Amino acid sequence: MIAAAWVCLISPLVATALITVGGNRLSRRGAGFLATLSVFVSFVASLVAFAGLLGDPPAQRYHPSTLWSWLTAGNLDFGLRIVVDPLSLMMMLIVSGVGMLIVLYSIGYMDGDDEERRYFAYMALFVFSMLLLVQGGNLLMLLVGWGLVGLSSYLLIGFWHQRPEAVAAAKKAFVMNAIGDATMALALFLLIAKTGSLNFEQVFTAAPSFSNWTANLVALGLLGGAVAKSAQLPLQTWLPDAMEGPTPVSALIHAATMVTAGVYLIVRTAPLFEQAPKVLELAAGLGAATLLLAGLIALVQVDIKKVIAYSTMSQIGYMFLGAGIGAYPNAMFHLMTHAFFKALLFLAAGIVIHALAAEQDIRKMGGLRKLMPLTFVAFLVGSLSLAGIPPFSGFFSKDSILAALLANGWYGEILWVVGMLGTFLTGLYAFRLLFLVFWGEPSPFVREHFHALRRDLPGLTLAIPVGVLTVLAAVGGFLQFADVWTPVTNWLEPVARPLVEASGTQETVSSVIAVVLGAGGIGVAWLLYGARTSEVPRVAWAQTLLERKFYFDEAYDFAFYRPAVWVAQALARWIERPLVFGSVRELAAGIGLVGRDTSRIQTGLVRTYALAIAASVAVVTVVFVAVR
Amino acid sequence: MTTALIFLPVAGALVVWLLPLRPFAVASTAFLIALAEVALWIDTLARFDFSKPGLQLEQQQSWFSDLHVSYHVGLYGFSLWLVGMSVVVLAAATGYAFWAGRERPRAYYGLMLLLTGAIVGVFVAQDLLLFYVFWEAMLVPLYFLVGVWGGAGRLRATLLFVIYTMAGSLLMLASIIVLGLSQGTFDLVHSGTNGSDWIFLGFAAAFAVKAPIWPLHAWLPETYRESSAEVSAVLSGVVSKAAAYGFLRIAIAKFPGPTSDFRTPILVLAACGLVYGSLLAFRAPDLRGVIAYSSLAQMGLITLGLFAVNPLGLNGAVLQMVNHGLISASLFLLAGAVERRAATGDLDALGGMARGRPALATVLMATGVIALAVPGSSAFAGEFAILAGVFTTGWGYAVVGAAAMVFAAMYMLRLISAVLHRSPGRAVTDAALDLRPAELGIIVPLVLCLLVLSAWPAAITERSFPTGRTLVELAGSR
Repeated sequence: MIAAAWVCLISPLVATALITVGGNRLSRRGAGFLATLSVFVSFVASLVAFAGLLGDPPAQRYHPSTLWSWLTAGNLDFGLRIVVDPLSLMMMLIVSGVGMLIVLYSIGYMDGDDEERRYFAYMALFVFSMLLLVQGGNLLMLLVGWGLVGLSSYLLIGFWHQRPEAVAAAKKAFVMNAIGDATMALALFLLIAKTGSLNFEQVFTAAPSFSNWTANLVALGLLGGAVAKSAQLPLQTWLPDAMEGPTPVSALIHAATMVTAGVYLIVRTAPLFEQAPKVLELAAGLGAATLLLAGLIALVQVDIKKVIAYSTMSQIGYMFLGAGIGAYPNAMFHLMTHAFFKALLFLAAGIVIHALAAEQDIRKMGGLRKLMPLTFVAFLVGSLSLAGIPPFSGFFSKDSILAALLANGWYGEILWVVGMLGTFLTGLYAFRLLFLVFWGEPSPFVREHFHALRRDLPGLTLAIPVGVLTVLAAVGGFLQFADVWTPVTNWLEPVARPLVEASGTQETVSSVIAVVLGAGGIGVAWLLYGARTSEVPRVAWAQTLLERKFYFDEAYDFAFYRPAVWVAQALARWIERPLVFGSVRELAAGIGLVGRDTSRIQTGLVRTYALAIAASVAVVTVVFVAVR
Repeated sequence: MTTALIFLPVAGALVVWLLPLRPFAVASTAFLIALAEVALWIDTLARFDFSKPGLQLEQQQSWFSDLHVSYHVGLYGFSLWLVGMSVVVLAAATGYAFWAGRERPRAYYGLMLLLTGAIVGVFVAQDLLLFYVFWEAMLVPLYFLVGVWGGAGRLRATLLFVIYTMAGSLLMLASIIVLGLSQGTFDLVHSGTNGSDWIFLGFAAAFAVKAPIWPLHAWLPETYRESSAEVSAVLSGVVSKAAAYGFLRIAIAKFPGPTSDFRTPILVLAACGLVYGSLLAFRAPDLRGVIAYSSLAQMGLITLGLFAVNPLGLNGAVLQMVNHGLISASLFLLAGAVERRAATGDLDALGGMARGRPALATVLMATGVIALAVPGSSAFAGEFAILAGVFTTGWGYAVVGAAAMVFAAMYMLRLISAVLHRSPGRAVTDAALDLRPAELGIIVPLVLCLLVLSAWPAAITERSFPTGRTLVELAGSR
């Protein structure tokens, strides 16, 4: 089982190395298939490990394995260590499974691009990094995976590196994530100082003995990493810009896997967070704020990918809500179904973009339902799932988080109200998108630019993953039906025992209200964008506020970027220049002066020089001896 | 063995100077000797027994017996790694000069080889006077290499460099004499610790100038800009490490009292340098400027690790010395390669070089992301250990260091994008070729070393202070 886990981890890295070294010797499509194959191997290996883990009694489903010492110092030893347990295994299956589908899809999507090989090398590198993140057996390996997914995300967002927007977005994503990495690193330093280890077992065992300060600071540091990676407030601004990357990248990294890593982190280090309940509440609060904010912004976006990006932020907000109140299995379950339906939405959107000659502006679209009925069905399933309409997968997972909120006191009830508002918004923006893109008559732009998907190999690689994900998004929710059967909760029980569980009544009440609100959102969307029986209300200031994304970019630019530039320039001007040029001037003047005087003692006699040197050293020596 | 490491390149220098070879033969001979030096180091590595404490491969020969000065050389775990990094970087630098072509090759390559010998000497000398001799012997070739083969502003740069380092060296010489006379021996292994603040400061001054520690870096930007690429690579990659080594081997090991007295001011200066260098690197207008100021920042980081004076800090510092040597050398050589093609290092005039130049793009990107210490890289391992080490000394330093990790991302990504991305800059024409096989052959080995270290940083951290008591040993027996 451990061997399978290592194979799962290493396989994509091997593909990266082969594609990089292979260069032109590998055909473009060959690179694509090699990358797909490597992730397929990972998926199979995950299944093997899964079977192995099923054979264990639940309490013993924890298998660490160390390849070698990665970093040592004195008696500290941080190994290249992985852990196979129910939590990491669930993530391995999601990452390699969804990853395999999306890499396969990329073969069709990137067909004909100039630098396909580089793309697939990066994609395989990402899958490796993400697997390292979820398999990492100590916090250092987790942080390494954490940083490497940030790197691959940077490389892939900026894949089309001749576009200035793509380059800027890539840098922004990396720097924002570096902030999270830095706070995480600080939390790790504190843990090393307190426990002398970063292995999960040791750290978690020591956690109850932490002082309040230690516990809170550690949790805050980790939360900083989580919000940066998962694009939650206040480090959320990079995600919409990241849509500059190719669409499959958005599907894999910025929807299904990497951005949900923050949720994984909280669940994984739950014993640390539980020592700092205030920080957990903060996480839930940030999730609630983000889900509302992102839901509102999504209402006015006109780029098909950005609408989905904001819905991702919003959905991760729900996961943070769940993780923040200790409903870990519910959060993980939503993470899984979200991976299905959000990847589906992105890939379907990719087909739309593909069919419309790379156009992403939804105002130019319309009527695609008749031209691409199958894509429409896929998109519809994804949207219904997103809006939480039964029996699609999002219903089961989102509602179980909302219900759990009701079991969490007054704070939970406030968050529940916010979550419910979010449900309405979700229905509204999801179906605004659907109606604008697929409903009505084909627009002039569509009629001019539309070209159907070809029925060749690239076309097939586009269609198959979308088909599979449609099925998963439609039925994936039945894996767990709160109060009736709970395999996910049971499976995660040994790692992440939930702190709250909703009663049957709470489940029912919450579900009914959520479905009504979600359907209400869809209804409003129908009136405004489908049937178009009523005008879209216009409130100028609200429109601007949402279009400018609540002015976060401007505020950060003003508060951080510009001061940094200003300080750097001030240092260069007021310290560096005087220091360097001052040195030159003083030295030149000094040497001129000394030179004039000393030219007289330049006799050319070596013994005089020797004497002078000896004398001066002697003087310095005496001075030193005297002042000791 | 250790002596051979010093004198092989010195002998090579004599060969190059004395034999009437043609320019091509001179360059190739020098490069072969540099490679032979690497091979010799690998052999040394194989002979070194990491399980044993104390000085190894030791040789001692009395020199001035009255003063108890001797030719005493030998290796500790960490000095072995520093020697290895140095000979690899110097071989790459020599190879790069060979490829780029330098005027007056006999003098040039002779000086390069002499420099190699002197640097190795600094890392292995176990006698203070011998250390001083090698220390000064380092300066002489550098003086000529910067002053004769440098760019337009080379004279001013040389003046600054020489005056600054000479001032530091003289203070160190005085300290050495006082220390040696008062202890009755100049031997580093057989002398004990000392409590004098003044002697400590004399040493610290020399090392602080050479490293450099902020604000004694006035010589740095000019020198790194005006030297030829491979000389800058050696200066920032290797010579600065001699200073960091000096801090470790002499200032910290021999002066535990003064070290703890002056620890706070030194840590504060190092932290200032880290932030200051990072910010200036972020706004520097040219390639060399970014790399030069990032070097300043990195030396601040290494100093933080050293003066944490705990296992994490020291191991991290040694690892980071090796990392930064390789990174800085790769970056300067790549900068040289870019400047050859674009005839400028102005970031404004560059851009778009990734298109059609996959090798350059891959190598620069790989070096760049390692340089910004992306988690998982060896530079990250070093930085992590250093900051975790200094965290226990004062959490504030670690917070500053963590902020510097973000700055590092900002300045390195700026450099990468300015060279590789967007549409081609005005200085980039289609005639600018991808990296040639020769250049790849010189730079890729450095990057490969970094990748191997990224997979296994413990190769160095486990083997620098093998017994964990090395500092006690370094302090001496008396």
